[in-house]
Amino acid sequence: MPNTLSRRDFLKVGGAAVGALVLGRFIPPLVAEAARATGMLDATNSGYIPTMCEMCVWRCGVLAKVEDGRVVKLEGNPNHPHSKGNLCPRGQSGLMNTYDPDRVLSPLVRVGKRGEGLFRKTSWNEALDIVATNMLKIKEKYGPEAMVFSSTHNLSQVQFENLLYAFGSPNYGTQRSLCFNAMITAFSLTYGVEEPSRKYDDVEFILMVGRNMMEAISTSETSELSHAIDRGAKFVYLDPRYTKTASKATEWIPIRPGTDSAFLLAMINVIVSNELADCEFVKQYVVGCDGIKAAMQGYTPKWAEEITGVPATTIERIAREYAATKHNALAHPGWRTSNFINSFQTERAIATLNALSGNVLTPGGCLSTEMAAEGAGLGAPPQPPYPRVSALRLDGVPWKYPLVPLKLGVFQELRDAILTGEPYQAHGWFISRQNPILSLPDRAKTLEAFSKMDFITTVDIIMNDTAWFSDVVLPETSYLERYDPLLPIGDKAFIRQPVVEPQGEAKSALWIYKQLGERLGLGDFFQYADEEDYLRQQLAPLGVSLEEVKSKGYAEMPETESSGEITFNTPSGKIEVYSETLKNAGFSPWPTWEEPPQPAEGQFYLLTGKVAQQTQFGTQNNKLLHKYSDEPRLWMNAKVAAEKGLADGDWVKVTSEVGKANVRLLATQAIRPDCVYLTPGYGHLSKGLTTAFGIGASDSVLHVTYTDPISGGQALSQTFVTVKKA
Amino acid sequence: MSEIKQHAFLFDAARCIDCRACMVACSVENKIPMDKTRIWVSGIGVKGEYPNLERATMVYHCMHCEDPDCASACPVGAWVKRSDGPVLYDSKVCIGCRYCMNACPFGVPHYDWDKGLIDGAFIDKCSMCPQRIDIGLEPACVATCPTDALVFGERADLLKEAHARIAAHPDRYVDHVYGETENGGTSYLIVSHVPFKELGLPELGPTPLKDISELIMGGTLPFALGLTAVLSGVAAGVHAYNNNKEAKEEHSEAQEELPAKTEATK
Repeated sequence: MPNTLSRRDFLKVGGAAVGALVLGRFIPPLVAEAARATGMLDATNSGYIPTMCEMCVWRCGVLAKVEDGRVVKLEGNPNHPHSKGNLCPRGQSGLMNTYDPDRVLSPLVRVGKRGEGLFRKTSWNEALDIVATNMLKIKEKYGPEAMVFSSTHNLSQVQFENLLYAFGSPNYGTQRSLCFNAMITAFSLTYGVEEPSRKYDDVEFILMVGRNMMEAISTSETSELSHAIDRGAKFVYLDPRYTKTASKATEWIPIRPGTDSAFLLAMINVIVSNELADCEFVKQYVVGCDGIKAAMQGYTPKWAEEITGVPATTIERIAREYAATKHNALAHPGWRTSNFINSFQTERAIATLNALSGNVLTPGGCLSTEMAAEGAGLGAPPQPPYPRVSALRLDGVPWKYPLVPLKLGVFQELRDAILTGEPYQAHGWFISRQNPILSLPDRAKTLEAFSKMDFITTVDIIMNDTAWFSDVVLPETSYLERYDPLLPIGDKAFIRQPVVEPQGEAKSALWIYKQLGERLGLGDFFQYADEEDYLRQQLAPLGVSLEEVKSKGYAEMPETESSGEITFNTPSGKIEVYSETLKNAGFSPWPTWEEPPQPAEGQFYLLTGKVAQQTQFGTQNNKLLHKYSDEPRLWMNAKVAAEKGLADGDWVKVTSEVGKANVRLLATQAIRPDCVYLTPGYGHLSKGLTTAFGIGASDSVLHVTYTDPISGGQALSQTFVTVKKA
Repeated sequence: MSEIKQHAFLFDAARCIDCRACMVACSVENKIPMDKTRIWVSGIGVKGEYPNLERATMVYHCMHCEDPDCASACPVGAWVKRSDGPVLYDSKVCIGCRYCMNACPFGVPHYDWDKGLIDGAFIDKCSMCPQRIDIGLEPACVATCPTDALVFGERADLLKEAHARIAAHPDRYVDHVYGETENGGTSYLIVSHVPFKELGLPELGPTPLKDISELIMGGTLPFALGLTAVLSGVAAGVHAYNNNKEAKEEHSEAQEELPAKTEATK
């Protein structure tokens, strides 16, 4: 390609010009042209462009190899702390998201019944007008609170939140209650920090409770754990399944589901009753030092043995080993901790174990609560204050769930409030980059909630199940085709930038929210001319040009000075093993044992958990990942299967209180006899996903909705099922 | 060009988490069709009985033998061992005879049954990414591996590294570096926490199979010539006998047909 402007480019310029006439502004310079100008691409439009992965929420740095306008390979960026040069299978497959033949490439308006899959293509102008008109109609008739907004964990979320708060709705659905509410609520209450970071440099003892790090991969942390094991750190892993992580553990403990906290409380009991804790640290920084021995008195290893099925001697030994390792011991906070109604207590016990080992803020300690304020040092577009919201939140925060942080929410409760119409009826749902139909427990209920809506809009790159049931689908550019706001990590702010031209009519979330905001009369909340202008406003205080950041991949941030003083952002300024806040809300101030329900005779615990090749509910249609994924079968202990007359590969019918699913059986030794396991994210309803449709079964069909009253977390493993030959 | 004299991989089964990032990276880098793969998972997977379990898997590449059997078996020279390590396959030269498939003791060359001579590329197998190593990059699989289960470098250095790992953790590893001597040595070295057989690797001696086959092949021509001479002699004898018989039974209608082979040897 010796010409600097090909015929294709010319057509695109022409198309963009027409688009500009229609929409008035917002024409970013062509991707390749801009990249050539900064020297990232050569005259043949080939080269490497730094950007950030979006195949999960870890956000690894990526070097995208581009050849003649197409991305041909993704490499882990060695200059990014989350990838350190590596990518996991999902990161490596990222380009197939962009080149998915099932991409939605123009705005769609439903013409058939909901869920029938009949849509017509339309222009952005018409699609945005339809969305805005319907949203305004709902606002006028029922108030802004009748519009529900949901989106989770993406870099444009800040502008999504802008849209919802400017619109005036308190109803914000995040996936977080299906994921890490228990961990974040527990650590916020205990340490005043949402998620402490882990340091593996000097770790000698690692305790992980169901954190399947080798399959739920966070590239840099998975790497760090692997290297720690490699050099001989002791790794104790609790999980009812023999996961790939279990296979790397020094000691795998196939604990009874729902009893992790009993195991951990007994560890605390051994440590405090034998005075094995780092007393100096504890006395200085921990609230609860005096009462803890009495509070933990009943939680003996013998007591825990009966509940957990783990021998008392094992618990005692592990507790002593943990304590002896002092601040080089790490009890990992975990990530998706939505397992049982008592998962919050599990997290509180983990937080306590860390406090007792003195690993926090100690030199060489492996837990850090130092957190830079999000976006500190970066600029932002100016905007007016949000309108005052007086309506209650449908998800019960804080009036029903006083301790759940507002930005986490209780998504499953929000869905249930749509069904009951209490405290008021919601009428519209604006969803972006989220798939509640597949992710929320009890899919039948979610579909019913959808049917109660006057109007549903979904922003996505493919026709996921939620888009399939929507009235308008707005096609977003893939992460390799768009800008998102900068991501600060440590002393740098990293960029996600387009490495190829967007396909079809797809547009970035920043563009979509702005266009919609303007149509809703909220233009003042979106004061940026285009995506690049947004980033320039972010960079303004740093005095760095966007061009420099584009070619380097990041901007240096000014160093924040540490006062050197150890304080925690809790009411007492200390680590609150004993929490007044919990007590005042009517809960136990100490980490405590709460007995979860157990399956009846003939029933199994239905476990969930990730595989390394897929992320949640959004990647199953990626052909490269599909190529290297195992068939999502129902795991059952091989001995139990034989007793039930079931053979490996048989079709079985799985039945829970709320649903049924047919799936093939995997008879394996790698699971407790009282459990079965199903990979989440399969069993799609959308026929617009030609790769994923027809594969596996959805565990959301089976999941019963249970909410932890403290953290708002959904108890995903508290569903019990029967399994019969189909 | 890279300064490495003899490139090699070192795979550590104890480090591999079976995430398959290497497989995806390879597929993208080398533009492998969706129904093919150049790397696959082998091994017995989860073994033992609950709860006493162990996992044994490895990512199986081409072994890039020092003295490759495929190259030896190939009648047209479609296989070449590059002096710096990679064993390369040239689809333009290949005639599709599949001798290499039978020759490789590791079962690496996979024949594409759907392809004819005209389509070319009968075989897809690991190439050690020469397009990358020639400009100083690691092969795609190695570059992305999150746990360093796969590393790449000078073969002699990696051998040292492999032995050092075994020495540092004798309780963890089997005391052997697979590929150091197997089949005359390979450029894909393996250390493991389980016996190599459980990873799906064949038990091989230090002599490449090709040396044995070449020994046989070396004797084949003289043997064939000798056999031809013997058979010609036999045929001549039969012919003479028949002529003799013919002469004796001049009026007989049941004249025997000569065996085709004897015709051919005339």
